[in-house]
Amino acid sequence: MVSINTVYQRVLAILNKENRGYLTPQEFNLMANQAQLEIFEQYFYDLNQFSRMGDNDSEYANIIENIEEKIELFSSSEDLSTYDDYYVDIPFSLYRIGTISNNNIVFDKVSKKEKRDILNSPILNIDSSNSYLDSNDNSPIGVYCITGNTLEIYPKTKKINIEYIRKPIDVSWAYTNVDNTPLYDGSNSINFELHESDEPSLVIKILSYAGISIKAAEITQVAETKDTKLTTEEKS
Amino acid sequence: MANIKHTAADYYASVKLYGSYRFVSAADVIANFSVGYVGDEKIIKRAKKTDIAFYCYRAIQELSYDTLNNIKSQEFEMPPSLTVAMPHDAVNILNITWVDSAGVEHLVLPGWLSSAPRQVLQNNDYSFQTDATGDVTYLDKSITEQRYSDSYTDSSVAGTTADQNIDFLEEGYGYNVDYGKRYGIDPVHATKNGHYILDEEHGTIGFTSDFTDRLVIIKYVSDGLASNDEMVVHKFAEEAIYKSILYGILSSRSNIPEYQINRVKKERRAAIRNAKLRLSKLNIKELTQIMRGKSKQIKN
Repeated sequence: MVSINTVYQRVLAILNKENRGYLTPQEFNLMANQAQLEIFEQYFYDLNQFSRMGDNDSEYANIIENIEEKIELFSSSEDLSTYDDYYVDIPFSLYRIGTISNNNIVFDKVSKKEKRDILNSPILNIDSSNSYLDSNDNSPIGVYCITGNTLEIYPKTKKINIEYIRKPIDVSWAYTNVDNTPLYDGSNSINFELHESDEPSLVIKILSYAGISIKAAEITQVAETKDTKLTTEEKS
Repeated sequence: MANIKHTAADYYASVKLYGSYRFVSAADVIANFSVGYVGDEKIIKRAKKTDIAFYCYRAIQELSYDTLNNIKSQEFEMPPSLTVAMPHDAVNILNITWVDSAGVEHLVLPGWLSSAPRQVLQNNDYSFQTDATGDVTYLDKSITEQRYSDSYTDSSVAGTTADQNIDFLEEGYGYNVDYGKRYGIDPVHATKNGHYILDEEHGTIGFTSDFTDRLVIIKYVSDGLASNDEMVVHKFAEEAIYKSILYGILSSRSNIPEYQINRVKKERRAAIRNAKLRLSKLNIKELTQIMRGKSKQIKN
């Protein structure tokens, strides 16, 4: 978890170093959320990229494990009941679906076409009986497909467990006005949920947006250069 | 980390669990295969559970036919119609026996000289009858089948039972007596146990008339998938199942090098051979007992 106050103070310090201007808390909050989402989404692309490159056996420098560790901060699990035997509404905070299961049975994600093929296969014989999956311990497989915000699950079941990656909670630098000066209110503030190692990236990204906001192109340029340098160092 | 999922007390208290440690369920095979063969740095990088399940079920089917020795049986009393339906989960009939009063089974051979054709219904002018949709109509049981079924009766010798009539015995207990009669009966047709005829089209088995009131046993093989309880594999054949799934998945995918498929194919064949050997229950003591008969002198 990254303290929002630390990030805000750093951003202000860098901006004010050359008397560039001031970033209000409202502006900072907007930019902070944008930066958090951007870094969060990048985790998945990075994981894909590093997975293709192969990993190593070191304890701390295994990039794949490090990224997985960052993503795991957002992992969540929920038991959901189905309606009409087959349908489940996905959780509101869901960002990426992980594993859907019922006891020992893990459901495969399939397209609608695959679903039809699988349901028509007599040898797989999914969902041919009238019994629920929950009462049939011997059914070793199940499938699901996504329709909008609904999951369609086969064979029919009364409940499922869904493991997923949730969205990061919106951050907020809360304050109280004391003599027209915003004073940090720690109890009402919401910190970044990103991993500690992403603090520098957060500062740089917010600075980049701040540069655009206060019309200081060089700030944006410096921030983006730093961001690019950081990314290159990480991935080369 | 013990593999037994229940205590000894639970086992002996539950009849359903008897002998269950010999087997591994299809669900466990799928789970084990996923752990051992699927994932990064493994031979299969990614596979859906449905793919694994498909090849697991296919392997169970194939191994059920000739490796797993899952022979099922049905014992029943012969109905007056002398025709019974094939067992509901039969893929192939292995053999049929009838049981005498001592409980000894007598092998019944199929009637090779006849068959169970479809009897076409005919009009008075011998033209074929058709139904409203224009299809030819058939009788349930053909005349051929009926005649063969009735052929056991030895009507020529009144007042004697079949076993008392020497001619009758020499002629193969009345079966197929006219077939090759001039030169004596061909031993291949000689039996006192009756015959059956499989009607593949209707899924029935017809018996000769001497089966009336007999107790009959049908032994057959199924495909191992008929019910959830059956979807298990003997542990002697567990490796053969894994290799069969592996081969099935790799050989059905594109861009898999042929040498890799060939390697897995050889491993699969070896694993199946091992399973067959283990499941054949070759026992040296039983073999010794059987071989003792070799030294017995045949007296005339």
